[in-house]
Amino acid sequence: MNEPILVEGLSRRFGDLEAVSGVDLTVADGEVFGFLGPNGAGKSTTVRMLTTLLRPTGGRAVVAGYDVVRQADAVRRSIGVALQDAAIDPLMTGHELLRLQATLHGIGRSEARRKGDELLARVGLSAAGDRRVGTYSGGMRRRLDLALSLVHEPAVLFLDEPTTGLDPMSRIALWEEVRRLNTERGTTVFLTTQYLEEADQLAGRIAIIDHGRIVRQGTPTVLKAEVGAPTLVLTVDAAHREQARALLCERFGAERPAARPDDLAIGLAGGAAEVTAVVRALDELGATLEHLELSQPTLDDVFAEATGRRLEGAEGGAADGSTTDDGAATDGADDRDELAGERG
Amino acid sequence: MSTAASVAVLSRRSVIGTARQPATWMPGLFFPLLIAAVNSAALTRATGLPGFPDVQSFLQFLLPATLIQGVLFGGIVGGADTALDIQNGFFERLLASPVRRSAILVGRLAGAAALGGVQALVFVAIFVVFGATIEGGLAAVAVLVVVGMILAVAVGGVASAIGLRTGSQEAVQNSFPLIFVLLFVSSAFFPTELMSGWYQTAAQANPLSWLIDAARDLVVVGFTWNQALAAVGWSVVLAVVGIAVALLALRRRLRVAS
Repeated sequence: MNEPILVEGLSRRFGDLEAVSGVDLTVADGEVFGFLGPNGAGKSTTVRMLTTLLRPTGGRAVVAGYDVVRQADAVRRSIGVALQDAAIDPLMTGHELLRLQATLHGIGRSEARRKGDELLARVGLSAAGDRRVGTYSGGMRRRLDLALSLVHEPAVLFLDEPTTGLDPMSRIALWEEVRRLNTERGTTVFLTTQYLEEADQLAGRIAIIDHGRIVRQGTPTVLKAEVGAPTLVLTVDAAHREQARALLCERFGAERPAARPDDLAIGLAGGAAEVTAVVRALDELGATLEHLELSQPTLDDVFAEATGRRLEGAEGGAADGSTTDDGAATDGADDRDELAGERG
Repeated sequence: MSTAASVAVLSRRSVIGTARQPATWMPGLFFPLLIAAVNSAALTRATGLPGFPDVQSFLQFLLPATLIQGVLFGGIVGGADTALDIQNGFFERLLASPVRRSAILVGRLAGAAALGGVQALVFVAIFVVFGATIEGGLAAVAVLVVVGMILAVAVGGVASAIGLRTGSQEAVQNSFPLIFVLLFVSSAFFPTELMSGWYQTAAQANPLSWLIDAARDLVVVGFTWNQALAAVGWSVVLAVVGIAVALLALRRRLRVAS
């Protein structure tokens, strides 16, 4: 196998809506690839096509050396999949689910048992192995989900928003596990996320998808360097805001999307040395400077520059359960939790 | 890739899943027994009507109908669980594994069959405890258990088809009333000979009546190979229909999704 994942012109249309249009990407062996985008951008649709759950309407994808349409079964044997919001039967125990998953992958009974114990220990769930999954916390479910996706030692692992909805501690624990998998076993990981920090922490290379199209692709370092100038974020009194905006854009650099509506954000073309000049200019204007902050380019800036929007700002909306297919899926997960509670 | 092992482990999961949610199968056990208790208390004198089969008691007359009613309810639970798998995403987890697509369905139906057999045994045991005699003896009991298993596959198939088409547990559960109508317009609770008009015509044309009449003969008259084969045969016909409908629904779901 050359590249674990090779995608050319991959598209998926739902009626009139083109959810994914002409996606090209290559993931190298042993790489952690971050697939970043806001809710509804086409992340999950892409992953569902790469994992044989959804047939593309255009283009092609080769995963672990097999075509996802014509050799779907061979793809399924070679990949591990942990789909969004941990689809786990709440009535079964961790042990039972691991043995079930192992059997589905053709692993014999005693080997399945051994493998199950080993994986539970690996993700720190040994003590909870005989408890029903309905009693697990969100973080435990994700860790079990990860263990389930590893029973057959897949060459390529797909993690679809593995930490969405997790508390910070659980998130960091899961990151550790993904890193360990990648360094110790050389497992290639395709990770979708809406968290910039997650992509920055884990991924060697990332692609940013927006409205079904890849808008940037590369290593985080290179992408950030491409944005170039650091961002100066400042708040001035409302009376002078528009004047200040015009002045700054004219003399110091291009405006960038700001996280808060009252802020001004510009890419400081001359770098940090220009800050004093900016302050002086605002003073001459008679504006009151309420807040000032200079930041080196982040993935958020890369995203903002590519799409004209801030991703971090969009997360609030997602947490409310509003908008898009991904949002709907999250609602579904909530329903299930309630159900599990009733039955458990 | 051992498909047999996958089917075994999936059917085991199906049984475990059902056993661990008593709230879903308890009504299927108690409700038919309740109906039987009320009917046998209220309608005992009906057995004296001219044209009523020669039975030991109304309770004995009701045994096959109660058993089949329980199995029909039980089969719905399996279909509802298929829908639940779709709702909570577990179905996709199965699809992302290399298991044969049909094995997912077969595993579910095999689980339903196992439960159907257990249900049949439980109903027979309860009726015997309350004094119903089974003229056909152990051979008749064996046939009733087999009928219970096959019929559970039939209903499980139809219910799974509804689950696969709608992806909604509620939609499957809402098909309960349909089963009621099917049962009430049959010989389940009263002999068709004593019905009249369109009701009699409909009941006599209901395949469930043919199945129940054959099973009832085994209980109230005695064991004959003819009736045993008729009971099993009609169950098999219904099961074939159920499996076919379920496979079509599965194919359709896979085609739409993929």
